[in-house]
Amino acid sequence: MTDWNAMSDADFRKEVRGFFEAEYPEELRHLPHRPKFAEIEHWHRKLHAKGWVAPAWPAEYGGMGLNAAKLLIFYEEQQRWGVNRGRDMGVQMVGPLIIKFGTPDQKEYWLPRILSCEDIWCQGYSEPGAGSDLANLRTRAESDGDDFVINGQKIWTTMAHDATHIFMLVRTDPDAPKKQQGISFLLAPMDQPGVEVRTITTLSGETEFCEVFFDNARTPRENLVGELNKGWTMAKALLSFERIFIGSPSLAQNALGQLESFARGRGAFDDPVFRDRFAQAALDVEDHAALYARFADQLKRGETLGADVSMLKIWVTECFQRITELMIEAAGPDGGTIGPLQVGNVSVDVLSSFYKARPTTIYGGSNEIQRNILSKAVLGLPG
Amino acid sequence: MTQSDKPSGDQEDLRLLRESARTLFERAGGSKRARTLRDAGGGWDADMIRKLAEAGVFGVTVPEEDGGLGMGLAAGGVIAEEVGRVIAPEPVVLTVGLSLGLLRRLCPNDARMAQLIGGETVLAVAWQERGPNGGPAEASCRYENGKLTGGKAWVVGAAGAQGFLVVAESDNGPVLVLAEAGADGLSVEERRQADGSAMGELSFSGTPAEELASGGAVQGTLAEAVNDTTALAAAELVGLSERAFEITLEYIKTREQFDKPIGSFQVIQHRAVDLNVMCEVAQSGVREALGLMDGETDPKARARLASRAKARAVTAARKITRDAIQLHGAVGYTDEYDIGLYLNRALVLSAWLGDDAYHRRLWFEAREEEGAAQ
Repeated sequence: MTDWNAMSDADFRKEVRGFFEAEYPEELRHLPHRPKFAEIEHWHRKLHAKGWVAPAWPAEYGGMGLNAAKLLIFYEEQQRWGVNRGRDMGVQMVGPLIIKFGTPDQKEYWLPRILSCEDIWCQGYSEPGAGSDLANLRTRAESDGDDFVINGQKIWTTMAHDATHIFMLVRTDPDAPKKQQGISFLLAPMDQPGVEVRTITTLSGETEFCEVFFDNARTPRENLVGELNKGWTMAKALLSFERIFIGSPSLAQNALGQLESFARGRGAFDDPVFRDRFAQAALDVEDHAALYARFADQLKRGETLGADVSMLKIWVTECFQRITELMIEAAGPDGGTIGPLQVGNVSVDVLSSFYKARPTTIYGGSNEIQRNILSKAVLGLPG
Repeated sequence: MTQSDKPSGDQEDLRLLRESARTLFERAGGSKRARTLRDAGGGWDADMIRKLAEAGVFGVTVPEEDGGLGMGLAAGGVIAEEVGRVIAPEPVVLTVGLSLGLLRRLCPNDARMAQLIGGETVLAVAWQERGPNGGPAEASCRYENGKLTGGKAWVVGAAGAQGFLVVAESDNGPVLVLAEAGADGLSVEERRQADGSAMGELSFSGTPAEELASGGAVQGTLAEAVNDTTALAAAELVGLSERAFEITLEYIKTREQFDKPIGSFQVIQHRAVDLNVMCEVAQSGVREALGLMDGETDPKARARLASRAKARAVTAARKITRDAIQLHGAVGYTDEYDIGLYLNRALVLSAWLGDDAYHRRLWFEAREEEGAAQ
């Protein structure tokens, strides 16, 4: 077993970069959509054989056991090479919760199946009436003999139509005094009569989001993770690392690179107004990266991140949107055209970038919610 | 490249430097001093200059063998941020970036070096000229037979300086000369700035001056010193912005309307968050740019980094100081509240050596040139 954390940052980066560059299938680089598992299965097998499916998990559970510093490098290299995250909900969300709160039996059963993608997971958190106000969720799970019986509806469930299992927050005590109480964390199989999945067509015409309906669906009681009615606290405990990851500069950096080659090809830089707007965007990305590095250094020193890390997400997602808007501007009369636009030997899908940028200010806690959090937790504003 | 991949300066030294500069300014009265000095005519405090010199402030970027602290531009930025926080009118960035920036590179053995580092003298730097349309123009001020003829504009610190370092043209190319304040044939027109300070318009008619350096190095060195000063002015704006934000945050927590602190209203909260984020991005971006300048020798790359810093700092300071006035409401428009002093200082520092639009243009051009060269 390699102790990756004992390596120097530079050596580790070289190792990761070398593997991606040598082994990652060219046709999967910078995929513009979320793939179904079948599309990336050959890559997943390589990653699994290498033991690199779960970089953050402890080695004893089949992970790489990376510390925060190495983990950031791993993700930076992944994004740099355009390596698809794959169907990583199991690895990113379910696994860590089972590792932290699960029973020995749950660990033994579920963790290897997550690594091998024998089970493919989707996340059932949001509901029609519980978006930013997630604790308002209403999907019920009631005890019935050895099972829980589930009724209700989840929405924005990414790739639910290509998942075998769902992990969800469900209401198990409707009479709890606060709505954050009475919520539990439950695992359930998708392949059963009481579960119906409908895809949602997005603005860009893709179908990566779904609605999931539960009509007396069942899951064995042993699929409750952690204590009954303690799901809210558990789910929140997981978000700390996610919050820097969601504010990473890579999406905006990649978009800026595309904008630059596209604008150059189109001669947009001849226009001094466009040049200035490009310079603004480029400097917004550069200075964001400096702020990101400050938080990353905090993690690398072993410190926990405070609520202030949310500012990364606010800045970078809004910046990402401005960059994709500049692409449309540079496209001129082609700004409404679907599909890749060819400029010299560069091909840029302007609309797809634009659409991709839209939900970034909505998901992972909308930017308005992030501002609420910052104003209270960081600035100490009342009310 | 992330920050930890590159060689970092000694963060602990910088922290100590920041602490001692902050203590020094706060003991002297913080931003109250700025108001007092403005009301007294817009000069600076000679005693404060002496104290700053004792703390080593002016020699912070001068190599140790030449009598300085040898700590680099990042350390200069730390001091400039502290100057900005209390909007101190003393010519710290001028002396560290321009006056000593020129002398330490062109004539490190000149006696004036020690006087500047020791706070015994302040030398303003006269290098820009005003054209017929009022904007900047090509240099035409001449130095012949030991005498200066012509004019210089936008001379910061002209009102209190003991002398002027003048970049002029001669038969042997560009020269750096020193003219004493009050020399024959020198007239100084003071133009009052928003913060109460004065910028000088100098005119020379046969003004005697001492030659300090000449030849091809003068232009290149001037450009380098201007880069340093631009970056330090950016750092000063970062410190200014941070403090302006803190004052505003305190205000919205205490000012009540509709029986509540106005900071409990969501629209105010979101605006405050945006200012905070802008501030943090500016601090990180500017500090990173100064740190990178310390490790960079290519003048074009250093110029690009200086422009990156100033562009960000001006954008942030503009947004923060103007929104600060709005969030203060009517009292923000009075002279009585300190927040106005920050707005006025930001106006002056933004215009000096180029604002954000100007520096984005330079940044873009430098980037294109570097790209083409690769």
